[in-house]
Amino acid sequence: MAPSAVPAPRVKRPTSGLRAWLGVVPFFLFAILFLILPSIKLFVGAFADNEGQFTFKNILQLFTEPSILNAYWLSIRISAVTAIGGGIFGFLLAYSVTIGGLPKALRTMLITFSGVASNFAGVPLAFAFVATLGRTGFVTALLKDVFHFSIYDTGFSLYSFAGLSFTYMYFQFPLMVLIMAPALDGLKREWREAAENLGASRTQYWLRVALPVLLPSILGSMILLFGNAFGAYATAYALTGGALPIVTIQIGAQIRGDVLHNPGLGYAMAMGMVFIMAVSLAGYSWLQGRTERWLR
Amino acid sequence: MRVRSTRRMPAALVALVALSLVVAACAPAATQAPPAATEVQAPAATEAPAATEAMDPMAELVAAAQAEGMLTTIALPDDWCNYREVIDTFKAKYGLEVNELNPDAGSGDEIEAIKANMNNPGPQAPDVVDVGFSFGEANVDLFTPYKVATWDSIPDSAKDPDGIWYGDYYGVMAFLVNTDVQPEVPQDWADLLDPMYQGQVALSGDPRVSNQAIQAVYASGLANGGSLDNAQPGLDFFAQLNAGGSGNFIPVIANNGLVAKGETPVRITWDYNGLSAIDSFAGNPAAVLVVPASGRFGGVYVQAISAYAPHPNAAKLWMEFLYSDEGQILWMKGYCHPIREEDMRARGVIPADLLAKLPDVSGAVFPSNEQLAAAATLITGQWDTVVGANVQAAP
Amino acid sequence: MSTQASSGPASNERSRAARIFTRRAFPLWSWLWFILGALYFILPLYATLDFSLRMERDTIGLKAYAEAFADPGFARTFGYSVFLAVVTILVSILLVVPTAYWIRLRLPEARRIVEFITLLPFVIPAIILVFGMIRIYSSPVNLPFTDIRLLAPLTTSKFGTNVLIVAGYIVLGLPYMYRSVDTGMRTVDVRTLTEAAQSLGANWLTIMARVVLPNVRTALLSGALLTFAIVVGEVVLASYLGLPTFGPYLFLLGQHRAYEPAALTFTTFLLTWAAMGIIQLVTGGQGQVAGAH
Repeated sequence: MAPSAVPAPRVKRPTSGLRAWLGVVPFFLFAILFLILPSIKLFVGAFADNEGQFTFKNILQLFTEPSILNAYWLSIRISAVTAIGGGIFGFLLAYSVTIGGLPKALRTMLITFSGVASNFAGVPLAFAFVATLGRTGFVTALLKDVFHFSIYDTGFSLYSFAGLSFTYMYFQFPLMVLIMAPALDGLKREWREAAENLGASRTQYWLRVALPVLLPSILGSMILLFGNAFGAYATAYALTGGALPIVTIQIGAQIRGDVLHNPGLGYAMAMGMVFIMAVSLAGYSWLQGRTERWLR
Repeated sequence: MRVRSTRRMPAALVALVALSLVVAACAPAATQAPPAATEVQAPAATEAPAATEAMDPMAELVAAAQAEGMLTTIALPDDWCNYREVIDTFKAKYGLEVNELNPDAGSGDEIEAIKANMNNPGPQAPDVVDVGFSFGEANVDLFTPYKVATWDSIPDSAKDPDGIWYGDYYGVMAFLVNTDVQPEVPQDWADLLDPMYQGQVALSGDPRVSNQAIQAVYASGLANGGSLDNAQPGLDFFAQLNAGGSGNFIPVIANNGLVAKGETPVRITWDYNGLSAIDSFAGNPAAVLVVPASGRFGGVYVQAISAYAPHPNAAKLWMEFLYSDEGQILWMKGYCHPIREEDMRARGVIPADLLAKLPDVSGAVFPSNEQLAAAATLITGQWDTVVGANVQAAP
Repeated sequence: MSTQASSGPASNERSRAARIFTRRAFPLWSWLWFILGALYFILPLYATLDFSLRMERDTIGLKAYAEAFADPGFARTFGYSVFLAVVTILVSILLVVPTAYWIRLRLPEARRIVEFITLLPFVIPAIILVFGMIRIYSSPVNLPFTDIRLLAPLTTSKFGTNVLIVAGYIVLGLPYMYRSVDTGMRTVDVRTLTEAAQSLGANWLTIMARVVLPNVRTALLSGALLTFAIVVGEVVLASYLGLPTFGPYLFLLGQHRAYEPAALTFTTFLLTWAAMGIIQLVTGGQGQVAGAH
């Protein structure tokens, strides 16, 4: 008898597949009650008009009414811009505190700050940016007093597409940092050293080794940033007063507004949003699958 | 073994999803059956009583209300028309508890709350509501009629003849100006177009959603060649103000923080909002309220008792309190013009210092429900095309 | 440097030297990005702080803070929100940890579905989820096609409404919580731990309580903090359900007051950040704050 033989582990394997599913029943129950059912309500509601009759009118309106199409296009544009911009700079930030060689304390500070900042939105965020870059904002005043440079004279306005995008970055950068920091950690040092041993320069290492490995993660995170911006509502509303008619504001107006009151249309627009998000999430999922290979 | 479980998985899921679909489809969204026993018939004596009979029915009402013990209100912020003092005075006077729901609810939310709690005698169901003018007429089937002791002194244009809803206070659209940042105070709507107000004029909401903003646009039309029947000049005025994005209009939703910051030094809002803002600024910044010389637009709010109120007698007592001189004066302290103002002025019961604080709003016009609805439809529908961010400078 | 794979001690020496030199080089670009980022993040916060200190004319003072904290509404709503946050976090943990564990150990097939579900709150706009939830639970839930009542309308009772809002908060925080816990478990390798514990004779409860939970502590903490931030700042759900939480209070305050909202915003931001920082310190910075995906 081998003295080092370990007794077989007593982990029981369920004999029938179904019993294993019992363990996740509470979660599924919760999900069905509070996630799936409301989603189905949304789905069903999109096909109802104000009297409760079944109709395709709401869905049709999505494709025929120019104001709605504009809203979608605007939402997509702002989400794309902030996803790409947020992705790039967020990546650079994450890089700087991981591989980039900054002290560990700074990394902790950035990561914890990102956790808070990624949820900072709505009226407080709008106000903070108005207080910074509005016409009476202190950066605006600083630039005018010290550098004699008036940003508003160049045609810049915080209450525009550019201004809103810039404000959105406040929760886009942190989200990117939070996702990319672990991914950058996953870049094994051995690869870097192996590349150097084989004579690669820094640029070649990045172009040929690191970025290809990271690319699925980066792209996937950008898609998440896209979704994040696409679903944002309170910040845009507060900052632009509805002058930029993005989809979420339109939905809010239909469902909650005191005047325009066509919830069916609101639900239909939400379905359109869900479709767009689902497509982007599918992309994210697929890209995640590609990444996990390297980061295990 | 694994294969079997994966094949069972989709089947189980499909079954669950199907079940949920059925449940969701069956969740009733249709009208509820009328409530069983929550309606208490108003004792005949309290309806339109003569002045001499006021004592006894009032004592009865107080007793009945106290038996109920509680009143549930909704959407009454402390700073709005001095509601904090109104509620506290009511509580102290009659010893009732007041359960205040959701102070930042809008009129639409209040109506939703009544609908959602039709069969609910619990504390989530509001007894009384204070809603925008158009909401009164639009939801008569949700209210129960009641005529307070002072019914006759409420102007006819501000109440439903059957007593289903009744105006409580009104305000007039005005300009709140931060004079530290903008010492030149505009006196009228036309003044707002002056180039010195570049990027300084803001609304208090989104004109496609918020009643306050819609009525501001409607009001501006009055001074711009429009009338209560024609809100289009209001839209044209704002198109001019916006001038394709480089004009005086700043498309951010103004609040008192932004006014104090100086970012939106001219905020178009109800006069009571502006006056209480000035109080809260306490001199920092210095600010004034201007009621425009022409184009004075009055917005009336209405009270109503929910037909499904769990505490109908407390609700009636609340109404009696609000429409008594005492209640009306408390509202006045919050800078709201109480609906019985004319009557009270005539009888000289308003304290002089209060009279001095309220701005002169003579000549204010009040739209009817139909006019409001038409204007709202026009403004919310046309705002994007006429004024919106992509519009070129108006000629 | 030759691009050929070189061999031999001389070239190894050279590359090692090169490596040492590169590592010593001052990370200029990193500092640049970091400083730009810091400026971007800190300036708006500073602007809010600056505004909040100017409540009294021409002086810098804490009057706005004093007024904000003295308001009884603040203590009432903030306390209530904290209470709801704690309940949300606890139920979230109870829901997520066993599920993540189970999936890791017994049921990898369910992984895709569960991950999909946890991503749903991202896909479906919150305002819709909330509205749908309220519509469904403000009427009684019956067995389909019958009058057998399964569930009374939740919104009719204080308790029911609280249940509904906690459920809503859990849904909103689910992506973060699940992802956090899942990453934590991956790092810790629960499979081996479980097998070890079982071979020592532990039952499931003991394993859960004394082996798994302590080991995913950091992940739990970071998920908990993110959930806390979400709950305290949430406005839509609370105002729809008419519950006096901090979000609507702050929103309403912003409608009427000028300086106090800025004071409160700055304070809550700072407090949450400090709390996260302290937790990082206490747990020795073990693992990253694996918050959002």
